[in-house]
Amino acid sequence: MNKASDNETVDVLIIGAGASGAAVAWSLADTRMHILCLEQGDWTTTSDYPTNAKNWEAQQFGAYNINPNVRGLETDYPINGDASPIDVVNFNGVGGSTILYAAHWPRLHPSDFRVKTLDGVADDWPVDYAQLEPYFVENDRMMGVSGLAGDPMYPPKLPPLPPLPMGLVGDTMAKAYDKLGWHWWPSDSAIISEPYEGRDKCLNLGPCVSGCSQGGKSSTDITYWPQAIRSGVELRTRCRVREITVNEQGMADGAIYYDGDGQERFQKAEVVIMACNGVGTPRILLNSKSAQFPDGLANNSGLVGKNLMFHPVSVVQGVFEERLDSHKGPQGCCILSKEFYETDGDRDFVRGYNMQIVRGAGPLTTAMQGHGSGTIPWGPGHHEAFRKRFDHVASIVNVCEDLPEECNTVTLDPELVDSNGIPAPKITYRVSENSRKMLAHSVARGREVMEAAGAREIVSNDLLRASGWHLLGTARMGHDPASSVVNSWGRSHDVKNLFIVDGSIFVTSGGVNPTSTIQALALHIADTMKQNLANLFD
Amino acid sequence: MTNDGNATDHPLSPAQRQRQRLSALLDTILPASEDGAMPSAGELDFLAFVREQAEDFMPALGRALDHFDDEFPDSPLPVRLARVQDYAGTEGKAFNSLLFHIYDCYYQDDRVRELIGVMPGPPFPQGNTVEPGDLSRLDAVVARSPGYRRSLR
Ligand SMILES: Cc1cc2nc3c(=O)[nH]c(=O)nc-3n(C[C@H](O)[C@H](O)[C@H](O)COP(=O)(O)OP(=O)(O)OC[C@H]3O[C@@H](n4cnc5c(N)ncnc54)[C@H](O)[C@@H]3O)c2cc1C
Ligand code: SF4
Repeated sequence: MNKASDNETVDVLIIGAGASGAAVAWSLADTRMHILCLEQGDWTTTSDYPTNAKNWEAQQFGAYNINPNVRGLETDYPINGDASPIDVVNFNGVGGSTILYAAHWPRLHPSDFRVKTLDGVADDWPVDYAQLEPYFVENDRMMGVSGLAGDPMYPPKLPPLPPLPMGLVGDTMAKAYDKLGWHWWPSDSAIISEPYEGRDKCLNLGPCVSGCSQGGKSSTDITYWPQAIRSGVELRTRCRVREITVNEQGMADGAIYYDGDGQERFQKAEVVIMACNGVGTPRILLNSKSAQFPDGLANNSGLVGKNLMFHPVSVVQGVFEERLDSHKGPQGCCILSKEFYETDGDRDFVRGYNMQIVRGAGPLTTAMQGHGSGTIPWGPGHHEAFRKRFDHVASIVNVCEDLPEECNTVTLDPELVDSNGIPAPKITYRVSENSRKMLAHSVARGREVMEAAGAREIVSNDLLRASGWHLLGTARMGHDPASSVVNSWGRSHDVKNLFIVDGSIFVTSGGVNPTSTIQALALHIADTMKQNLANLFD
Repeated sequence: MTNDGNATDHPLSPAQRQRQRLSALLDTILPASEDGAMPSAGELDFLAFVREQAEDFMPALGRALDHFDDEFPDSPLPVRLARVQDYAGTEGKAFNSLLFHIYDCYYQDDRVRELIGVMPGPPFPQGNTVEPGDLSRLDAVVARSPGYRRSLR
């Protein structure tokens, strides 16, 4: 590995070692350029994950909470979410949010890249599915993905590994979709169903969202990073970037960051790549103010931090008479339905949603959620109510497409700062009228499915607060510098040696979990950079 | 150490009386099941659990117990339930935290886990077996599907 000293200029400086940072680092490594990645968090170890211990569920409420404000680790930064009905969730460390993600692995659909043309809303992307297709394939191979070929709702694709077991939850729900004549398919999952590339297969522990002790879940710390590092990429942890600096010509020339001891440092670079996710990237760009860029770096369009998209999520849970072994198997990966994915003129909203069937929780979470919802009392009725629910539930998580709106923003909080004094991001977000109608539709259809499945009780949540998993759109791609931040290969319109590869560059959100598309885009950007190395800044 | 005070040892020391209150509180919040299959929370060693896994909670536990007087352990169940209900109503956050720790202790217990059909011990490295499911039904899904929506470049 090349080690950069403080006063040495690296060829490529990547900020953030998550899903996209890892993919771009690995792809660029074969150029033999001097590549350095600065990551604010640490490496995690599989033996530290909660499922090694009996108190694994309690840890999910604390140090392994998906919400950084609850987790409050030194490596996290606070997020002001007071002006948003959806909380941002993430993980900060090598692997980024893939450490805690559920690894549900759908791709955006071909139609998602053409929403303006097809439905007259938002904007078309400057790239399309066909262009990204080879990168989807390469990314699936690098990450290790399980699934079943033949889903008619997609162009042909062939996941490298066979699908994960559906279990009783999947079987029960699949029968319901059949009864209704609706689409369903086993989920593609970034979880390995068979030994793969030196990793052991998934053991069906269940709680993938607190880290996978088995290493069966494909987080980038165990997929891309080891290979990138072997190829010479340097990854420095506990380095929190405060701002990207520019030279007199208005080109990015490095980053100011704080090391693990809180010392301020400067790293010089020829090229800077942002990979801090849809909240972290606009935060740092907005904090990178200079005489040339008084409103933040790469922000001549004024769009850095605007058009924030989550996926508003509704949940419909069915409680069944029969035991479904709900706590067994990857919680977020079972089957899905694309029945309502596309626009239908008969509905009162445009675009659509993905129905993701998820399994149940462990006993502590079941009991606490039951207390919160009033369905499992403490006291004499506890055991009976608990017995009826625990391992007897299946849920539908409806992931709704969120259309871009400039009023949904990431800005710098005027008061809140992280442990290094860097302004924290402030989220201002409202659920649009279109999303509200879509959410209501998804709850009604979800209830129909649960009825068809024979659930004896159905409960629903119209909008899940802890669902800011997908952070998109805050530095969008496009051909026109007036209406976008980066071009079709992630290069800033304003700063020709600054690239963005994370979820910020999404033009629209699609109605599916985004990470396979985020990484395919990162690989596409890296490849285009490699093809244009001789005149990268022209 | 268990949560029970020694009832024959009168007069009880403050610590013993506090333990009696704890034991009664645990049995009120999570009593044994009617058929006797599920133990009550008071049958588990809650204090040892707090000491080992949630030491930070110890002062809050002491404060929670201060809400219940020495009559509490000998009161009939409806009275005890009403007292806890009252506490939950006035000290919602503290009660939720107490409940969380009681449930956490209870559902980590190997005997309880076996009774609810969960393997004892941590999930890793034992893992679980999950049925593959019937994929043959997908032929019908393919047959009835309109296919994906085409998008022109
Ligand atoms: C609980 C949970 C469940 C999820 N489930 C799914 C799922 O099932 N399917 C799916 O597709 N997606 C899922 N996601 C989302 C998925 O994890 C993200 O889409 C993906 O990780 C985003 O990739 P990224 O590269 O944009 O950012 P990230 O992976 O978040 O990486 C950003 C990295 O940048 C670092 N960073 C940020 N700021 C700085 C700074 N100033 N200096 C240095 N480093 C910095 C962070 O520490 C972090 O490591 C889930 C996420 C969570 C939290
Ligand atoms: S279910 Fe599989 S992927 Fe998820 S944590 Fe367990 S072993 Fe890992």
